Amino acid sequence: MTPKDFWYNSTVAVVGGGSWGTVLAHLLSKNCRSVRIWLRDEDQVRQFNSTRTQSRYMPRVQLDQKVVATSSMADALKGGVQAIFWVLPSSACRQRARDLAPLMRGDEVVLHATKGIEGGSMKRISEILVEELPTRRVGVVSGPNLAHEIAVGEPAATVIASDFVEVCRAGEFLLRGPQFLVSTHSDLVGIEWAGTLKNILAIAAGALDGLGLGWNSRAMLITLGLSEMVRFGTAMGAQVQTFLGLAGIGDLLATCGSPKSRNYRVGFRLARGEKLERIIEDLGSTAEGVVTTQHVWRFACERGISMPITEGVYQLIYSSVPAQEVLMQLMKRW
Amino acid sequence: MAEDDQKNSSPVTPSSLGAFQFRRVRSVPGPLTRFQSIRPQILQQVSERTFQNLEGAPLEVLLGEALYAERLRMSRDRWNPFTRGRVQGDQKLWGQIQRGLLQPAAEVDRKGLLQRVIQHNAEEIGGFFDSKIYEFATHAVPWGFSWMLNAASVRRFLPWGMTESLRSRIRILGEVKSLQKLAEKGTILLVPTHQSNLDSLLVGYVIYLMSLPPFAYGAGLNLFSNPFLSFFMSRLGAYTVDRNKNNAIYKQTLKNYSSQILKEGIHSIFFPGGGRSRSGAIESHIKLGLLGTGLEAQVEAMIDGRPKSKVFVVPMVVSYHYVLEARSLIDTYLAEAGKHQFIRARDESWQIRKVLSFFWKLFASQSNVTVRVGRALDIFGNFVDDEGHSIGPQGLTIDPARWLTSGGELRVNPQRDQEYTRELGERLADRFHKENTVLTSHLVAFSYFEMLRARYPDFDLFRFLRLSLPQRTVLWVDFLDEADRCRERLVALAQQGQLYLSDELLHAPNARVWVRDGIRQLGLSHDAQVLRVSERTIWTEDMNLLYYYRNRLTGYGLSRLAEFSGGKKQFGQNDSQGFLV
Repeated sequence: MTPKDFWYNSTVAVVGGGSWGTVLAHLLSKNCRSVRIWLRDEDQVRQFNSTRTQSRYMPRVQLDQKVVATSSMADALKGGVQAIFWVLPSSACRQRARDLAPLMRGDEVVLHATKGIEGGSMKRISEILVEELPTRRVGVVSGPNLAHEIAVGEPAATVIASDFVEVCRAGEFLLRGPQFLVSTHSDLVGIEWAGTLKNILAIAAGALDGLGLGWNSRAMLITLGLSEMVRFGTAMGAQVQTFLGLAGIGDLLATCGSPKSRNYRVGFRLARGEKLERIIEDLGSTAEGVVTTQHVWRFACERGISMPITEGVYQLIYSSVPAQEVLMQLMKRW
Repeated sequence: MAEDDQKNSSPVTPSSLGAFQFRRVRSVPGPLTRFQSIRPQILQQVSERTFQNLEGAPLEVLLGEALYAERLRMSRDRWNPFTRGRVQGDQKLWGQIQRGLLQPAAEVDRKGLLQRVIQHNAEEIGGFFDSKIYEFATHAVPWGFSWMLNAASVRRFLPWGMTESLRSRIRILGEVKSLQKLAEKGTILLVPTHQSNLDSLLVGYVIYLMSLPPFAYGAGLNLFSNPFLSFFMSRLGAYTVDRNKNNAIYKQTLKNYSSQILKEGIHSIFFPGGGRSRSGAIESHIKLGLLGTGLEAQVEAMIDGRPKSKVFVVPMVVSYHYVLEARSLIDTYLAEAGKHQFIRARDESWQIRKVLSFFWKLFASQSNVTVRVGRALDIFGNFVDDEGHSIGPQGLTIDPARWLTSGGELRVNPQRDQEYTRELGERLADRFHKENTVLTSHLVAFSYFEMLRARYPDFDLFRFLRLSLPQRTVLWVDFLDEADRCRERLVALAQQGQLYLSDELLHAPNARVWVRDGIRQLGLSHDAQVLRVSERTIWTEDMNLLYYYRNRLTGYGLSRLAEFSGGKKQFGQNDSQGFLV
């Protein structure tokens, strides 16, 4: 059996049914035999299976018959699946991985799409998955992928990275579509950190717009922010080149310019003087950048890595310093 | 933890066992015992396989490169009367290859030339095994040592006379029972740390003491230049590894040989650090080439459906109070690290006088060698239980066949397997540090070195190593305090399972006792004592040696001057002054 045949005949589980999880399931359904999507909420499962839409996050996408929702992980993995797509917020990662581990067989390929890290340990999601799941074949899907745009079939590109070439190939076979380019990369560390760090800058970009500033200031933010990302990323073992690709500058441009990005919205509303608790309540889903900022800034302080923008975002979020003042301090430092 | 040690060590280190009641440890037959009968077949398979691996390559280039590398090597190699035959054999072969390559390909078949090279390599690598010699070596040689030991030991003046034996000088701790069980359930790949050329002999003897069947092991070609050692080693299952031969054909043959004997179920020993540790530190970079043959052997044995196809990787950490070759090793290390005016010392290890003196001092000083058998790992670096099951996250049992399935089939996948092996190497380096038994001398060297270093925080390594005598003298009482503080930190680490402490360290009544012991043991076999004590002061005679022994405790984050800040995530990567931390 060629790899192509193998993946066309495969069963794939998607763990997590937020907006991106739903869109991934939609893309996957074109390239494999069946897709099972795991959702936490039973009501949502019922609604999903009857209407074939994820009404809460992604009402506009009509899913294929191949996609079946379930709220039981055991059902999602019943009879063995060939690939698992992991689309949960970073805060739930370790616990959910522990739930999933006993159900796995060990020959699955696991790809995650979480752009975050575990606080405290500063571990990447793939590190947590390798620690908790009975497999080493783990990779990441990252890139400038705003779920809503892909859902309506606009062209987009993504990157799959893993230490294992077969994991990259699997992701390529499974996700590739006429409007969806998939490239592969070997710098897993770099791709994961790029995705994580850009969320901090997305908050900053939102804040600039919240202040009503124009393109000059945004370009300044993106350029200086990118070098900040590179500084931190290389300290964590990433390659500089990676940040110049889709998952680095690519993702940064998409998130910093799109009001659809959750992190951007957090920054925008903070700059308008709203309270953090209120904003998070309204979002209804996780904005990874909020916690990431805290962990990254603390770590950078400990190790003496210079990250002025991250520090500014930290002050904006956690010290309630007005955006205008943060920006003024930043301008003095640069 | 101490109880655990005693429990594990009791079956193999009966310290009161006397030479007169020398109980024979039964030598256990194993797959290696019938090696002579399968040797031609193994070499045949190795040759065929290597040929298959390389057949597709551009042969002209491959052979040309090998010829060039070999000519270069032969012009540099020193030889002695005992190795002359082999050198001449090499020269003859490569002369023929050269003549062959000068002829057009239509007249001289390149494949024939390749085959000739491969066969020549395989024959050189392939070891022998002679059970009679094994019996002799495991019994008579230790008897000889025992005799020497009793002559050297002060205890001979005691009324009960000769109560020492080599065995009582080798402490074997750790997972001995588990290793014994696993040896029956699969193939063992024993990976010891490597500090001294004596390791091969020591590890071989320890295997025998643990009632395990003989193991095959790769021994550096330089050891075969001694006719006495060559005779024994080549008949005890040693195969030859020539690190100077770095041509692709040789490397491929060596890997295939290693893989083939593992597949035959022959337990093997690899020293995975790629030669002896020069700095004195525990191996943190593992060479993956030979290590990867373990995985290859397991996949292929599983595909063939052989029973006992699993390969178990068992780390072993050998702790010496003093290393015979310490001086030349550290000089080599410093010369490479600092590119300074260090004059490379001659490799001193196999001057017979030194070896004898090593053993004499070992026995005369009531010293000992500590060997810890680590927890066994599977070929991916997961722990295995005594039954040989791989234990994954949260205690789940892992089915290796699943891990080796790609695209729905159990198969070899070079990139995947390389990645598994890389992870194994990383986990192995971590296990080496955790299975390390810290001896009094290591801690004395470490705490003294670090105490001095705290006084000269701005010095880089090379300036620091040239401190004058007054600069490297400290007050004895100050040192005692510092050493004791260091010990407390080690005890904390030991409680976290980061390392082990020897009984002398763990149960020391006070600092004075273990520090004195450490000073006495430290570098005993060298011409001068490394640390010397007068009434009120303590100083070092040899900074380089001190540094060597101190390095044993690097990699734990113990150094007080270790740099936390800096652009690297991993602790210890920030080392701007060139000390190992």
